[in-house]
Amino acid sequence: MTVAWFGTFWDVYSNLVLSVGTNALLALSIWLTLACGMLSIANAAFMAIGAYASALLTLNFGWPFPVALAAGMAAPALMAFLIGRPTLRLSGVYLAMATLAFGEVVRIVLLNTDRVTGGALGLNGIPQLTRWWHVALALAVTLAVLWRMRRSRIGRAFEAIKEDETAAGLMGIDVAGYKMLAFVLGAAIAGLAGALNAHLTFFIGPGEYGFDRAVEILTMAILGGIGSLTGPVVGAVILTLLPELLRALQNFRLVFNGLILVLIVLFLPRGIWDTERLRRWAGIVRRQA
Amino acid sequence: MKRNTLAHSLFALISATALAATAHAADIKIGVAEALSGGAAQYGISIRHGFELAADEINAAGGVNGNKLQLIIEDDQGKKEEAINVFKKLIFQDQVLMVFGPTLSNSAQAADPIAQAAKTVAFGTSNTADGITSIGDYVFRNSVTEADVLPETLRVAVKHAHIRKVAVMYGNDDVFTKSGYDNFVKALEHAKIPVTTTETFAKGDVDFKAQLTKIKATHPDAIVLSALLAEGAPIMVQARQLGITVPFIGGNGMNSVKVFDLAKGASDGLYVGSPWSASNESPENVKFIKAFEAKFKTQPDQFAAQSYDGMHIMVQALKTIKLGGNLAAERSALRDALPSVKWTGATGAFQFHRATDKAGKPAGYDAQQTAIVSVTKDGKFVIEK
Repeated sequence: MTVAWFGTFWDVYSNLVLSVGTNALLALSIWLTLACGMLSIANAAFMAIGAYASALLTLNFGWPFPVALAAGMAAPALMAFLIGRPTLRLSGVYLAMATLAFGEVVRIVLLNTDRVTGGALGLNGIPQLTRWWHVALALAVTLAVLWRMRRSRIGRAFEAIKEDETAAGLMGIDVAGYKMLAFVLGAAIAGLAGALNAHLTFFIGPGEYGFDRAVEILTMAILGGIGSLTGPVVGAVILTLLPELLRALQNFRLVFNGLILVLIVLFLPRGIWDTERLRRWAGIVRRQA
Repeated sequence: MKRNTLAHSLFALISATALAATAHAADIKIGVAEALSGGAAQYGISIRHGFELAADEINAAGGVNGNKLQLIIEDDQGKKEEAINVFKKLIFQDQVLMVFGPTLSNSAQAADPIAQAAKTVAFGTSNTADGITSIGDYVFRNSVTEADVLPETLRVAVKHAHIRKVAVMYGNDDVFTKSGYDNFVKALEHAKIPVTTTETFAKGDVDFKAQLTKIKATHPDAIVLSALLAEGAPIMVQARQLGITVPFIGGNGMNSVKVFDLAKGASDGLYVGSPWSASNESPENVKFIKAFEAKFKTQPDQFAAQSYDGMHIMVQALKTIKLGGNLAAERSALRDALPSVKWTGATGAFQFHRATDKAGKPAGYDAQQTAIVSVTKDGKFVIEK
């Protein structure tokens, strides 16, 4: 009974479940730069680079999937390293603007190199190689690495830079170096998500990596809360599942979707997974008990 | 066990609409996956109306061999992930016989492989991009591709306007306009018409004078324009302002009555080809337009006409197969019956022809239909032969 039921469920919702996984990776990729105090919104572009790099390799050259995935991580990481040098000198809203512009550049390059990327028509017939355990493994490894990193010297350096860049510099922390590390690692994770997504949906086109996607990624992280690793994952789960759960509302579902997001932001400004508030609530419960 | 109950209630919640709509056992469930919200909603809603009109007519006339059609309509938002989710829901959960849609070619590239793998017919009424039907032998469409329409448009325009050389202008960041451009280039090469210059623009541009000035200097006999209306209409207006009087030869995106509003006073001399025209006075088309206007209080467009015909074409095949018994057998029987359907509807005489996949092996089925070419004159489309 359970097995048969699960079979149907998986037939219908496998794509949705795997989208939760890739979106969680995307949310974690931007969490990494946010944790280092940088508002960088180039992650949609890094996702695009990862998706195109890996899809071109499997599609045109028949490379094995793991190698294509690795290339899908390496290509955006390299790109991040190159553009990181000049742009990471910027901070706050100026960095946001520069990374936003970079996103547009990537989109327009994809549109105009139509011999390689298919231009606006995108890449079709990408082999569906992504399996559930690829996504699960990618997410588990990413979470484990980030969790370990938070508790290491690197994580403490990120924290210090986020709180006060100048003070961190005066304490002897290599601010530029750590910022670059966060930026490059974030790009690699976004690229991995892009590569997994491309091999799940048969098709990629430049239109899906535009400003909308960049904002969506940022929303997932902020909505979930950036105080911990759980936050971005929770945000990704909610933003991916909400439109599906509201499908019964038919024409009004996007209205409700928006409404729920507005309410969450209004009443939980620090995100859903706000560790301090959760601890406070737990405290109240314990005192009452 | 507890997890099972929880999941069951979740499952029930999600499928509440579908279940609520289930009437009686003899209904034939037909999935409709179209973009009803988002950027492509104007097309999706039109398409939905076409399906509803056709299904109502068929059910009012007693259904298919006594069985009523039941449409299960889902919104794919014009996004590829959503299109996949909706296809999976319709095929595996709602257990539909076949699926119409999705609206956009990009969504079809992502969702049609799902239907192919599940051996369920996916029938597109609005996908015009190359290669959709190469996905597999369960993929059908009655939308005439630009590869078929544009050579015909060009031929008629050349015949009437004495065209020897053309300038080309297209939007290079949009899947419709880019694919239109690719097909225009092929058609121009085939007709041996030299191109004086090729200019591009992007979605959201408002000033095209730089490109048009350059085009004017090359003295073409016509301008081939692959654009959506939002950019195409101002291009026509600005061309006339610059004193360019030569005709325009437009792609699919320019084929809309809205051009008369958006390019007021400058809308004359635009050649467009389409499988459907409001000015076509065949009895089937007159009946369709009258019924559509009576039901929805608005004028139909090409997309509504194609989905209306698509439903009728599918029903012709449905009439010939035996229903009842197992769904997988019904699905493949429908697939086997579809290719031989011939139908004359709002868009004229129609039949399928087999497409090939990348390796040249037979795959899905494309439309075989003659395009109707019209030219704009005094705020109306006039059919040219």
